[in-house]
Amino acid sequence: MSKKVMEKSVDLFDRTFLGGTLFSLDKLLNAMALAFPEFKDELKKQNITVQMKIRDNTYGRLIKFKNGFVTGKKGIFNDADVEMIFENENIARKVMLGEMYGDTVEFVNAAKAGSLVLNGEDEKAMWFSSLLLKVFAFDVLYMHNYGTKLPNGEMRYVTGTNGGPLFVYVKDDKVVRVTPIDFDKDDPEPWSITARGKKFTPPMRTTAAPYAMGWKSLVYSPDRILYPMKRVDFDPNGERNYENRGVSGYERISWEEALDIVSKEIVRVRQTHGPGSVFHTSGSHHTWGNCGYYLSAAKRFFNCLGATCAALNPDSWEGFAWGAVHHYGGSARNGGCEPYSTVEDCMKNSDMIVFWSSDPESTAGVYAAQEGTIRREWVKKLGIPVVHIDPYFNSTAAFMGGRWIAPKPGTDAALAIAIANVWMTEGTYDKDYVEKRTLGFDKWEEYVLGKTDGIPKTPEWQEKETGVEARVVRALAKEWGKKKVYLACGGITSFGSAGRTAYGTEWARAMVCLVAMQGLGKPGINFGGLQYGTPLDTHFWFPGYADGGFSGDYIGSGAGVQLYNRMPQSPSVNSENQLIPRLRIPEAIMNKEAEANHLGVFSVHSQFGKVKYPAPGHSPVKMYYKYGGSHIGTQPESNRFAKMYRCDSLEFVVNQSIWMEGETKFADIILPACTNFERWDIGESSSSGGYIDKTFLQNNHRVIFIQHKCIEPLGESMSDFNIFQAVANKIGLWQVFSEGNSEYDWVKRYYKSTDLAKKISWSQLLKKGYYVVPPLPENRRDPVAFSWFAQGIKKNTPELSPLPSEYYGRYNEGLQTPSGKFEFEAQTLKRFDPNDEERMPICTYIPSWEGTNTKELYDKYPLQLISPHAKYSFHTMGDGKDSNINDIEQHRMLINGYRYWIFRMNVKDAQDRGLKQGDIVEVYNDRGNVLCGLELTQRIPAGIVHSYESCADYQPLGEPGNSVEKNGCINNLTPSRFITKNAHGLAVNSCLVEVRKWKGESK
Amino acid sequence: MKKFHMIVDLAKCVGCYNCMLACKDEHVGNKWLPYTDEQEKHEQKWINPNKFERGEAPFTEVCYLTKMCQHCDNAPCAKKFPDAVIKREDGIVILDAAKAKGNKELVNACPYGMISWNQTLETAQKCTMCAHLMDEGWNEPRCVQACPLRALSVVYCEDYEFDKITEQQILKPITDGSNKPRVLYKNLYKYNKCFIAGSLAYMNGNVETAATQANVKLMMNGELLKEMKVDFFGEFKIDKIPKNSGTLTIVCTLDGYKPIKKDIKVETESNYMGCLMFEK
Repeated sequence: MSKKVMEKSVDLFDRTFLGGTLFSLDKLLNAMALAFPEFKDELKKQNITVQMKIRDNTYGRLIKFKNGFVTGKKGIFNDADVEMIFENENIARKVMLGEMYGDTVEFVNAAKAGSLVLNGEDEKAMWFSSLLLKVFAFDVLYMHNYGTKLPNGEMRYVTGTNGGPLFVYVKDDKVVRVTPIDFDKDDPEPWSITARGKKFTPPMRTTAAPYAMGWKSLVYSPDRILYPMKRVDFDPNGERNYENRGVSGYERISWEEALDIVSKEIVRVRQTHGPGSVFHTSGSHHTWGNCGYYLSAAKRFFNCLGATCAALNPDSWEGFAWGAVHHYGGSARNGGCEPYSTVEDCMKNSDMIVFWSSDPESTAGVYAAQEGTIRREWVKKLGIPVVHIDPYFNSTAAFMGGRWIAPKPGTDAALAIAIANVWMTEGTYDKDYVEKRTLGFDKWEEYVLGKTDGIPKTPEWQEKETGVEARVVRALAKEWGKKKVYLACGGITSFGSAGRTAYGTEWARAMVCLVAMQGLGKPGINFGGLQYGTPLDTHFWFPGYADGGFSGDYIGSGAGVQLYNRMPQSPSVNSENQLIPRLRIPEAIMNKEAEANHLGVFSVHSQFGKVKYPAPGHSPVKMYYKYGGSHIGTQPESNRFAKMYRCDSLEFVVNQSIWMEGETKFADIILPACTNFERWDIGESSSSGGYIDKTFLQNNHRVIFIQHKCIEPLGESMSDFNIFQAVANKIGLWQVFSEGNSEYDWVKRYYKSTDLAKKISWSQLLKKGYYVVPPLPENRRDPVAFSWFAQGIKKNTPELSPLPSEYYGRYNEGLQTPSGKFEFEAQTLKRFDPNDEERMPICTYIPSWEGTNTKELYDKYPLQLISPHAKYSFHTMGDGKDSNINDIEQHRMLINGYRYWIFRMNVKDAQDRGLKQGDIVEVYNDRGNVLCGLELTQRIPAGIVHSYESCADYQPLGEPGNSVEKNGCINNLTPSRFITKNAHGLAVNSCLVEVRKWKGESK
Repeated sequence: MKKFHMIVDLAKCVGCYNCMLACKDEHVGNKWLPYTDEQEKHEQKWINPNKFERGEAPFTEVCYLTKMCQHCDNAPCAKKFPDAVIKREDGIVILDAAKAKGNKELVNACPYGMISWNQTLETAQKCTMCAHLMDEGWNEPRCVQACPLRALSVVYCEDYEFDKITEQQILKPITDGSNKPRVLYKNLYKYNKCFIAGSLAYMNGNVETAATQANVKLMMNGELLKEMKVDFFGEFKIDKIPKNSGTLTIVCTLDGYKPIKKDIKVETESNYMGCLMFEK
């Protein structure tokens, strides 16, 4: 057969296919309408004609919708409401077949090339395109064929949360209960670790954090925003009354009015002021799900608009990002370390675990519910001794036992350096390793031994700073020097409150220097406390929420690393390059300038570059499109935000939020978002991806799940996706935002792109809800983190980072440092500024700018406040909102009918001030005054006080920003000063306060 | 006849409060009649961990004593209100929802304080061990299913089998046991006994040094109660000492140094003796 004949045959086939498909389309739609009344209702929504055709008009068919009935006729007609034009028959066939089989690459190609065009009024075109997609989703949309039906009539669905996945039991469109997931007999056998003659296997179930167990009460919270709202004294066409933000009440408006105001404001502001004028931020943590997450839906939406964004700081691990990274690399993880197979190595080979500013029992690592708890119990069973270094006798220490050492906040580096001093003095470190694998040890040694400044950094030296007896530090150093030790910093490795103090960089640096001295990566010597690094299958490909979802943002999310070759989607880019350093948002808005170093992930040295606001050629921010209420409560010196909202430089503020709380109350228009129980999504338990690659290695099982739409959205609330779509529609962005897909369609596309599709069918996943990835056989487990480095071989752990150009010698050999060695004297810092006294090339102890050494301030405010991540709420999630979490007596304290945030104080400090258990106290300093309920405890030494960060609501008793706050907004008190001058990091745990009994509001 | 028994292990409780939250999740806003009506949102807790501290820095300890209806075989509530209290064959104690209505006295009938008053519905209520679920085939009540380490656990077995478990695992009732509670506690010493801790040191030149080779004896009236080596911090902790034990003597020895002898009066609190220095 000649080539020509062959081509002709293909054309004929394609044309027959197209003709056949379009011929049957009207019949199919009518048949579906007959079977499903809801679909019939959908058909009735538009009376329009649609011309589907080949561009050259050689074939066409007109589809007519009238009163819910569909007819079709062959031919080309010129008066259709909507036109769907394919470039040729071949493209039409490929796109249609692709849609049928869930392969969207031909669709994306055709759309990008203009080979598939949809013309017509937005509303009509959009309706038709979504109607076609509904055909492929009819079993879910109209038959509700998903979830597991139980004998008692309840349906069991699955969702994901920030604290573990849940079964969701539903009856009559109401959530009955949520529970952790107990696996069934079809789920795979878990892994085992045999250590010291004992075999350990995790149970076949997931766990839930308290804030996951409280979710039903959050769905049905009385603080849910159920309708679009407008501030009563906000008139977009008249007086806006900026100064009344946070004071005035709200009135219900229609979605139509809300969308009209928001879309018109976006256009007005952008046309009047130009690029940069619209500003968007979210909290760090959205409701769970890879498609609905802010790094997916919001990212795509604001890329479509063009917006100023926030330059983020890694506020859970500042010290590592701005400090430790210079010694051992890891910029892709913002200074975090590898986790691989450390659980097994620790259990088998280590003789001791030091938990330093590490409380995974409270923080769940991050997202990992109570997954690590059982491993901490195994440590007890193995009899591995543990030590806890933390000013607070934290929950991990309470559960595990072991010696508690409580340095004064911000002095941890001194304690660590004194340990190094003992090792150097006594020669109890791995000299061979230091010689072969490290650089610049002599420089650090000179400082530690006091050769440079005449002050040997002995245990006795540190006692004056830390308050910890020299005897204790020396005993710890001696034991550590003799043993193989795992060092856990923060809940997940490389986190920790101590890294959020003034010069907390030095603590994190000291941590990595200590482990390097003992032989990082040798058996039993590594980072971690069994929270991270379980022997799960890292090769099964399913990305995390930070890997971009359907954002199409290959630059601003992890999509460029993870999704680009797997999930076809049209790319999206933010054309505006104006950023505001997150810690300076209020200053940027109020003073119209801000500047900070900007942490990049591609290299270590990129953090020396700065973000300057406003960016050249950009407008200062005029409109703030905020998601949720959590900056107030989580950001240092939160009162700044209250002041910012009330200034006139923000012409318009819209807040898209689930609940009325925090800064939501400062918006002009509030758009009601629904929870993840009320929308479709897909995700994996505790898998963020992005900055924390393979986060799921905190789990006992890789549990990947569909997130069913368990119930209909409450009131008039809508999913974030649908809200963004609705705003996008108003600006003509509908196809650009979603490619015409619904969130359900995107979830299905996402599924198709992952390894999940190879293991479980879509219908099975829809029914069962989750899939457990079988662990690999023991002989295929990943190599232990950094073991390749200790052995001097090529990096063999399963990750793409660092980038090839970050190796200055041969690729894949050594660490991400200029020398490839562990650098005690960091060449990156030396090159940047060898005389930066706030961050020298070697790790030093620098007394805090707000601590016991700052005499004048300390005399006035003699209590050191630490405010670590909360145990019972996940930042603001779970707190307030009248949720069940508030009933936890260690979360809030009921006094006179009000649930006060808890403030913890040593009995002695309380006695000195005439305070007693259950008092309402006013905690104050120059930055603010906050009311709390007083808990007396021996969990904190005298002179130090403790209260978790992140209450959800903000309740000033007078003028917002300038009055006593009642709901426990501890971050009103914390400093917004940078951790060190050349870093954009926070230091909230360097905070001096005083406390007095609250005399009442009349005072 | 197999019955339900419950074990609460204080050493496994991490204080997550999932039990209380799961109970609220199940019972607030859900009616499970005839077992029980809705729980009040905030005012009632049918199960609740109570935080308890022992000692002081650096020898602080924290544990949680989780209390719920003890499902007593010899239930004081049933004795007082035989009509309103149902003892099921599987051991679970249920309040008759109709008869508990308006009967505020039921609240006072429980010595554990675990019958509470629902102001909205004006009825006495308590934990049902999720009997409505257990009767549907669930293996565990909600509080247990949500407990990360199964610090709470249910055992469904014959009473005589459970007696063996009680003995093996040293399970105790929170009070004297005369009510024959079906909820027993493990590692209860964390709540109801005391410890004595101390640090031992000596001067090595002018450096205060942990006495890691020291020995410690606990004596009472000349009788040796316990002997142990200190840890690498030169520290000791002797636990499970009954409250109000009277005066005990700690004797610390280190080769080449004079023994240290200290009397300690044990009342209701644990005791950290501070750092004791050995002298030549």
